[in-house]
Amino acid sequence: MRPNHCYHSISQYLNNQIVTMKFLKITSLLALFSFSVSLAFADAAEGEKLFTANCTSCHAINEKVVGPALKDVHKRRDAKWLVQWIRNSQAMVKAGDPVAVQVYKENNEAMMNSFENLSDAQINSIIDYIKAESEKPAAAATASVAGSSTTSDGGMAAPAEDGFYNNTTFIALSIMALILFVIVFVLMRIKKTVQEIYDNKFPEAAAAEKGPVVDVRTTWRYKLFTKHPVVGTIVVILGFTIVLGIYGFDYGNKKVGVQKGYAPAQPINYSHELHAGKYKINCLYCHSGADKSKQATIPSASTCMNCHMHVTASAKYNGQVSPEIAKIYDAVGWDTEKKAYDPNKPQKPIKWVRIHNLPDLAYFNHAQHVKIGKVECQACHGPIEKMAVVAQQSSLQMGWCINCHREAKVDVANNDYYEKLHANLKAEGKSYVTVANAGGLECGKCHY
Amino acid sequence: MENKNKYWKGLEELNNDPKFLEQKRNEFAEGIPLEEVLTEQDGELTSNRRDFLKYFGFSISAVALAACNKTPVKNAIPYIVKPENVTPGIPNWYASTCGACAAACSILVKTREGRPIKIEGNDQSPLFQGGVCATGHASILGLYDNERFQGPKANGNDVDWNTLDAKITAALGSAKNIRIISGTINSPTTKKAIAEFTAKYPSAKHITYEAVSNAAMIQANAKAFGKAVVPGYNFDKANVIVSFGADFLGTWISPVEYTKQWVKNRRLTEGKTSMSRHIQFESTLSLTGSNADVRIPIKPNAEGVALISLYNKIASMAGAPALPAPQNIEFAANMIENTAKELWNAKANSIVVSGSNNLDNQLLVNAINSLLGNIGNTIDLDNISNQKYSEDGAFESFVNDLSNGAVDAVIFYNSNPVYSYYNSKKLEDALKKASVSISTNESPDETSSLCKFNAPDNHYLESWNDAEPRSGYYGLTQPTISPVFKTRQAQESFLKWSGNDTDYYTYLKNNWQSALLGGSDQAWNKALHDGFHTVAAKASQSYKMASLPAEAVNPAYQAYTATKDKIELKLYTKVGMGDGTHANNPWLQELPDPISKATWDNYAAIGKATADKLNLKDGDVVKISFKGGSIENLPVLIQPGQASGVVAVALGYGRNSGGKVAKYVGKNAYPATSFNGSTFRYANADVTIEKTGDDYKIAHTQTHHTIEGRNLIREASLKEYIKDPKAGNHFDAHIISLWSERDSKGHKWGMAIDMNACTGCGACVVSCNAENNVPVVGRKEILRGREMHWIRIDRYYRFKDKDGRSATREKNFAGSALSKPNEALIDNSVDSTTDFENVAVQFQPVMCQQCGHAPCETVCPVLATVHSSEGLNHMAYNRCVGTRYCANNCPFKVRRFNWFKYRANDDFDFYMNNDLGRMVINPDVTVRSRGVMEKCSFCIQRIQAGKLMAKLENRVVKDGDIKMACQQSCPSNAIVFGDMNDPNSEISKLFKNERSYTMLEEYNVQASVKYLTKIRNVDDAIAGEYKSKGHDGEHKEHNEKAHQKAEHHS
Repeated sequence: MRPNHCYHSISQYLNNQIVTMKFLKITSLLALFSFSVSLAFADAAEGEKLFTANCTSCHAINEKVVGPALKDVHKRRDAKWLVQWIRNSQAMVKAGDPVAVQVYKENNEAMMNSFENLSDAQINSIIDYIKAESEKPAAAATASVAGSSTTSDGGMAAPAEDGFYNNTTFIALSIMALILFVIVFVLMRIKKTVQEIYDNKFPEAAAAEKGPVVDVRTTWRYKLFTKHPVVGTIVVILGFTIVLGIYGFDYGNKKVGVQKGYAPAQPINYSHELHAGKYKINCLYCHSGADKSKQATIPSASTCMNCHMHVTASAKYNGQVSPEIAKIYDAVGWDTEKKAYDPNKPQKPIKWVRIHNLPDLAYFNHAQHVKIGKVECQACHGPIEKMAVVAQQSSLQMGWCINCHREAKVDVANNDYYEKLHANLKAEGKSYVTVANAGGLECGKCHY
Repeated sequence: MENKNKYWKGLEELNNDPKFLEQKRNEFAEGIPLEEVLTEQDGELTSNRRDFLKYFGFSISAVALAACNKTPVKNAIPYIVKPENVTPGIPNWYASTCGACAAACSILVKTREGRPIKIEGNDQSPLFQGGVCATGHASILGLYDNERFQGPKANGNDVDWNTLDAKITAALGSAKNIRIISGTINSPTTKKAIAEFTAKYPSAKHITYEAVSNAAMIQANAKAFGKAVVPGYNFDKANVIVSFGADFLGTWISPVEYTKQWVKNRRLTEGKTSMSRHIQFESTLSLTGSNADVRIPIKPNAEGVALISLYNKIASMAGAPALPAPQNIEFAANMIENTAKELWNAKANSIVVSGSNNLDNQLLVNAINSLLGNIGNTIDLDNISNQKYSEDGAFESFVNDLSNGAVDAVIFYNSNPVYSYYNSKKLEDALKKASVSISTNESPDETSSLCKFNAPDNHYLESWNDAEPRSGYYGLTQPTISPVFKTRQAQESFLKWSGNDTDYYTYLKNNWQSALLGGSDQAWNKALHDGFHTVAAKASQSYKMASLPAEAVNPAYQAYTATKDKIELKLYTKVGMGDGTHANNPWLQELPDPISKATWDNYAAIGKATADKLNLKDGDVVKISFKGGSIENLPVLIQPGQASGVVAVALGYGRNSGGKVAKYVGKNAYPATSFNGSTFRYANADVTIEKTGDDYKIAHTQTHHTIEGRNLIREASLKEYIKDPKAGNHFDAHIISLWSERDSKGHKWGMAIDMNACTGCGACVVSCNAENNVPVVGRKEILRGREMHWIRIDRYYRFKDKDGRSATREKNFAGSALSKPNEALIDNSVDSTTDFENVAVQFQPVMCQQCGHAPCETVCPVLATVHSSEGLNHMAYNRCVGTRYCANNCPFKVRRFNWFKYRANDDFDFYMNNDLGRMVINPDVTVRSRGVMEKCSFCIQRIQAGKLMAKLENRVVKDGDIKMACQQSCPSNAIVFGDMNDPNSEISKLFKNERSYTMLEEYNVQASVKYLTKIRNVDDAIAGEYKSKGHDGEHKEHNEKAHQKAEHHS
């Protein structure tokens, strides 16, 4: 029994060993694979970040913006050349690199920014991202990005006011109600006339049908209106007041001064859908104050010119400059012929119509929310990348602010400022800090 | 309470004036002005029920219609090309130099979206160390003054600069004798530009004229030491400071610089037990005198004899020859002798200064300093001050030359002598005769409106310039906004007229590069960044005065004996208003005078005894006549602390041109100045005062928001403090609380105010106005007690009590009973215990105390004022419905109610009533509207900004990161702000200091503002013995007495 047992155990042992080894091999292989895959993904993810931050103002994957479309650029150009080009294209042009000079000329001699601060690894990650994007079918790529940028949106993106309760239905319903009233009135007149005729024709029968005469003084109407006319009037007025009051309160609360849905026509038909949605230009490229200042800032016309010096959308307008882009040229005094600023042309500031008007009594700081609170732009401004015309998405009422302050968690771990506060709250058994915990509901935090 | 000293804010309070008693029972000086709203004219009520219904119906329909209005479309207009360093919403700071006066303090200018909105001190400056005075803070309003010249003018018509330049160059070319009249110029580059002009026009001569001159001092230094300069003063090196009427903390030469120096030896924090000793001889109570340890009221003409006596006493101790004086005049309590002893004991480390513009007096001061060996240590004749210079004689002869035609062309470079010259009629007539008269003054004023050509200068915030306030210290001025109007730098005008087309920036830079910076661009950028550039100071040498000013003796005695029994007129300048240059500045007009707390007026300040003698009372209108003229219709103000037989009137008022705010406020006292052959004189020895029989109310804030004699001021003498650091600050009342304790998890903000450092100068008040958009309300509203200032400086008087204790006359020095000054005008019928000449003054800045258990919070029916987790008392304006319960319940009386809409309202036609003026508004602070309460918020916008900065930089808030507007501006660093929850912060240390106390501790409102006991360097006991037992009984007794007294009067 013993050897048998022994054999058995040995074979079992060996068997186990093989299984284990196989298992180990497979798992390690798997791990290695998944690691390399994740590495590639990490590269692409890192690349995506860098791409949106640095490149989207001039480049898109599938389309020419200022610079050429980048689809399959890794196939067209040598990897080393690309890194060098991205780092400092002008140096290459000046050095007389034939490909570089050709690219420069093909693109209207638009100078590409140099990115001396990017490491080789970072540039490669951008190229990896472009590689990954190039392999996707064009439509899918757009969809995935659009989807990703709205994920943080959450419940904030309320549907626009195109449901049942819009003006048209209200008017239609009113007219129908009016018609119904008229019908009821007419029917009652008919009924009364018929009754009168019947009474005149058959007075006895009618009297019998009516039953004994009721003393008017016992009716509530008599008691209220004839006997106590003042009380009656007060009751009626009170009734009206309550009904109108409730309506008025509701109206005042939800409508007066609330400009939700406000979508004025702007001096230039600028489309966020095109720039932020299709071309995926980083919000902060134009609204550069959002992460450092109280104001998000509306970009100066010179910021527009960074791209529109070259992008004229002339393909859509039979070789002419798009009339909307021409408005920028007019504002900054750009000579389209000479492709240069004309100092003799007057500069005309663009009068954009302000959409989000917070009252002066409330202090709002973009940097606090964007940089420290890490709130996505869309949380307050809605799916801006889908708006051809920007409309105010949130009510901007105090209740709306407060709701978020009650729920939003403060990222205490990554900011030394909150250190002490967090320690104090932890001592009280609170595992996380909301804006409200940090005093975010106090009057003086916004009103001073 | 162990502190038995009696403090009073004004005579009304001291005498329990029935009107005052009635007023203090009412929280608001006047009720709701319903009549005014409903009547068409002042007086009777003409509205009736029908009118009411009409108004009612109208307002309902108006509201209904207004509600139908569409929200106006607002535009957002970005830059075309955004400047790299400007981000909307983030302030930009520029280091510059203040141009409000020639003291040339280094400042930082805060700009938002391209417009300067606030001036703050540059704390890196070794000379000024980060303080700015009230005038400096307010000078920013001058930039947004829409009454400035909007462009050049020739003969009253608008022209362009080229036309003007052509006309002026032609006119100057044919002129035979040219003069340039300017105020003190301490800018090396401006001097160079003027030199270029005088080189081109060889007949041209530059004359420096100051409305309030110090020519005597310069002449005296020339005579005594061969140097026609103002020396550099080092008050920080002096252990004994003796000032004869020099208001060096308030208005004299460079007050911010001197305050920083003075306070260095007055501060007692960090275990220090020594203080400098400050003795002030003066005729009217000045800011400096009110901060002195010992103050001797003397008549202006007694200054000379006092100086002679002082010299002789010191000379006898030093064994030096004495001046041939007929007798040595001694003042009460052997004050001259005691002063001499103290000065001699501190020889070489003492300082004697005089504010007089009398050559003899300045020579005597020089002799004393020379004898004491102070020159070379506390007085520096090698590193001089360029901050004030005046050539009185030269100006006088200019006026004569102009009237007799010897001078035919004159350029007034930011100078307004037609207003400030004593014989302005003569100058006016002479000016009309001149063939060429040019002014570069910024606004149409008395002088510029008489000139043929106006070439208006930029405001200093629009200009390039430099300054050398003290040898070796160079300040740079850089523009913080492009010129608002079509004005041009005066220096550029001078260059243009002398045929040099260089713009002034290039000219200035070249001058600095060649003269100072050795051509280095980097050094230029650094100077521009810092706002100043220093070169090593010269070694200061000791100078001895060669001969004694024996010639000064006889005139001094003659003046003294001739005017001993007469009333003397003393002309002085007020803190803030100064010589009247800034009279069109509503912030300064509304800034209460630190001493009298009067706003919007000057007045005839008279001592109590003299007023009784002349049968005058507060508000009587008088005419002051002197040889050659009179000042009409001045109201009387009884000023405690003023020398008997002296009437004091402030200069700088009574402008009849120069802007809507300046015009007709107060009376012009310059006609009472005179020229004595070498200098202008600001005292008039023989005046008569006549009552006109009229009555005029002075709008002063002194008894508004009064705090009924509670124990708010705590002080002790230095000796008591050394014995017991808690002297004067013992407090053992029973404290109970109705509320549960609050707990601040993060920050807990607090403020400490060192009453030893606070001089009461009022810089914080104006700084707060600018930071927090505090409106100006005007004289009428102040009369009703409706000033809006968020921070006020309470000023209390105290005189010797029944035990004979006095802060100013020290009996143990005299060794005998106090002797009354030998002056005939003292009314001896006045109770001898109430000696109004000898008062001690305490200042106490009061702002919202941010109580932990705030009484205002519990009474607000709409929760508009609530407590924050950071220990602040928040005020939500839009929640406030204006019940004013909170103001009623505030024990510190710091809440202010908006009785009107003060912006865009023609009844309050100040800067907030025009678009340009509103540019100064701080965009981070709400502009309050009618019907809401407001109060100090502890500059919550600064707290929030400081926290945000810390969060953005991923760090904790550092101590000193967040500075209040009042704190930042304080020339004496009396205010400290910080986080009480941070155990290492300065505020935490100060809160543990033995001297710290909160006001009304017995209420247990847990104020977040603590005051540090005032310690005076006097021999008397001030705090008195501390006995912990039995004070309850005393307290009760005291209360009962006070109660009875109050009842008796009502």
